[in-house]
Amino acid sequence: MKFSNNTYRSFFVLCAAILAFFVIGKADAACFECRENYTSVEQVEVSDELFNVKCSSKTGGVLWWGDPFYGTVPMGDMPENIEADYLSEPAVVKPRVDYEEGTSDHLGYFPCSNCHGVFVPTPRSSKDRKINAHQDVVENSLELKHGRGAIWCLECHNAKKRDYLTSHRGDLISFNQTQKLCGKCHGQIYRDWRDGIHGKRIGYWDKGAKKRWWTCTECHNPHDVEPAFKALVPESAPHLPRGMDNADHERLHVDHSGLSHGDVTDGEPTTASHGEAATDTTAESGAH
Amino acid sequence: MKTDEKKENKENLEKEENSCCAPDNGRRDFLKTAGVTTAAALTGAGALLSGSDEAEAKFHWAEWFQKNYRLMTDEEKEAAVTRLEKRYSEEYDKNVTVDRTEAKDGVLFGYALNIQKCIGCRRCVKACVTENNQSRENTQIEWIRVIRMEKGEFSQEFMDQGSPQISGKHGIQSGGHRHKQAGVVLEGQHYYEPEKVPEKDAFYFPMQCMQCENPPCVKVCPVRTTYRDPDGIVVIDYNWCIGCRMCIGACPYWARRFNWGEPNLPKEEMNPKTHYMGNRPRMKGVVEKCTFCVQRTRKGRYTACVEVCPVGARKFGNLLDPNSEVRKILDKKRVFRLKAELETYPKFFYFMD
Ligand code: SF4
Ligand code: SF4
Repeated sequence: MKFSNNTYRSFFVLCAAILAFFVIGKADAACFECRENYTSVEQVEVSDELFNVKCSSKTGGVLWWGDPFYGTVPMGDMPENIEADYLSEPAVVKPRVDYEEGTSDHLGYFPCSNCHGVFVPTPRSSKDRKINAHQDVVENSLELKHGRGAIWCLECHNAKKRDYLTSHRGDLISFNQTQKLCGKCHGQIYRDWRDGIHGKRIGYWDKGAKKRWWTCTECHNPHDVEPAFKALVPESAPHLPRGMDNADHERLHVDHSGLSHGDVTDGEPTTASHGEAATDTTAESGAH
Repeated sequence: MKTDEKKENKENLEKEENSCCAPDNGRRDFLKTAGVTTAAALTGAGALLSGSDEAEAKFHWAEWFQKNYRLMTDEEKEAAVTRLEKRYSEEYDKNVTVDRTEAKDGVLFGYALNIQKCIGCRRCVKACVTENNQSRENTQIEWIRVIRMEKGEFSQEFMDQGSPQISGKHGIQSGGHRHKQAGVVLEGQHYYEPEKVPEKDAFYFPMQCMQCENPPCVKVCPVRTTYRDPDGIVVIDYNWCIGCRMCIGACPYWARRFNWGEPNLPKEEMNPKTHYMGNRPRMKGVVEKCTFCVQRTRKGRYTACVEVCPVGARKFGNLLDPNSEVRKILDKKRVFRLKAELETYPKFFYFMD
């Protein structure tokens, strides 16, 4: 078979169009990592047929990690006088803010210094007071739950340099390294986090191999601390085995005396026992 | 495919074909003695007979008559893998690789799951399906199960519901709270579907293959197609599995699944990075189960379920490395193994903060 140059050209144009459609189409797909509406990741084709993530069509959450390091940056300097994995292996994080560009995908008002220090004056006293501002971000700003009244904004946010958080001594802490801040009070959890017991890491399991670490605020909302982890829509239940109409059998409580609990009257059994129900339905089971 | 590769392939196929008829063969002996004709056998034979294309027929023929993977020479393994790559690539319309990385020295895989953290969202279940090419609709298979357990309800109201029931005596042999499920492992719900998780009155208990150090499933397999690899992963050579389901009966952890029907794996959802012992597409009539994502973990990567868990309840690593995440958990936390009394010694630990 022979193709003219023209045929080739139109073929390529067509391919390019299809490709463009896919790339543009795919860029729209985004899913959330841990906190809905707060930590999202866009789906991109990182190499041939390999996507950085796959998203759940039911819940909109990440369902699968193809490229664990997409969009991450090195974790940066960490205290050196403590034992921790990040001293001996490459640790990366997904930045909450980009200090060089002065932008943030996740913090709505960033950079905070656009207002603070410009037309919002730096407070002269560090004494706490009720604040009306930012109730869209900090719903409970008038009754901050975190610390149950023991702390307020400037315990964590640097009073003078609002684009940063603050250590006990007033040193700057990046929004990308919130663990340095949270570890001030939550020491036990911080230690577990350093050991990889608390929190989440993805990438390579081996010691010395690269990992992406999740930092505190990627899973927890520091302002609204209850519950510690916000409820999610679960992925769908397994299909029922063939021949089973519902899963009522597992909702009935087992009563080995032949009575199903809740329907017990004085000596009068009223419904089939759990045991019988289970035998009937699992006999033709396809999924077991 | 390049011409040399093709040629090599063909040679391999021929080699396979010749070796197919070697008389001494444990599996076929078993079949003969037991007089069992499995669904798988029929399917395979059917495929052979109906294969109109001669090359394709040869291909299936060679696959059907390959040896038990463990007894294959290195060349035979390579040939088997190449054959599969070719077949899968055609079938799924993409470049499918079938890896055969072996266990590494100095590695014993272990897993730890924080049941205090798990919120029952089932993302691990679906991540596993996505990664490991499980069957989707109709013949759905999921390797991980998440069990919803009740926190239990204790109140005055049940006090007089004991048994036998003698009014006013509040039960004699068993009390009115005898069916309250608090803390009763394995009596929970599997098909729960609330709007949001976690629910107030429940906690969640995920289960999957525990890669037992003393695996009963391995002991009962009559054709020894499921075995424990040196890094502790219990694997299955699907090609050698006769579908007798002895292992399903032997496993105390509800970990193994049988392909009752033709697996349903849509092309566009198929994960092309596979391992011979792991997530390569399975066929009707064989058993499958979690392999700790052997295709990932033998290359250093975390399992898909570890990576997807939104609360970080899942931890994985090398039990021989005192600095690994699992070992640190064993050092610092209270852990337990499910059904320890059975002496299966799972390498899957549950822990709490
Ligand atoms: S993904 Fe994590 S939290 Fe969700 S069910 Fe699995 S183990 Fe539990
Ligand atoms: S959990 Fe079951 S399938 Fe897995 S190794 Fe143990 S006995 Fe075998």
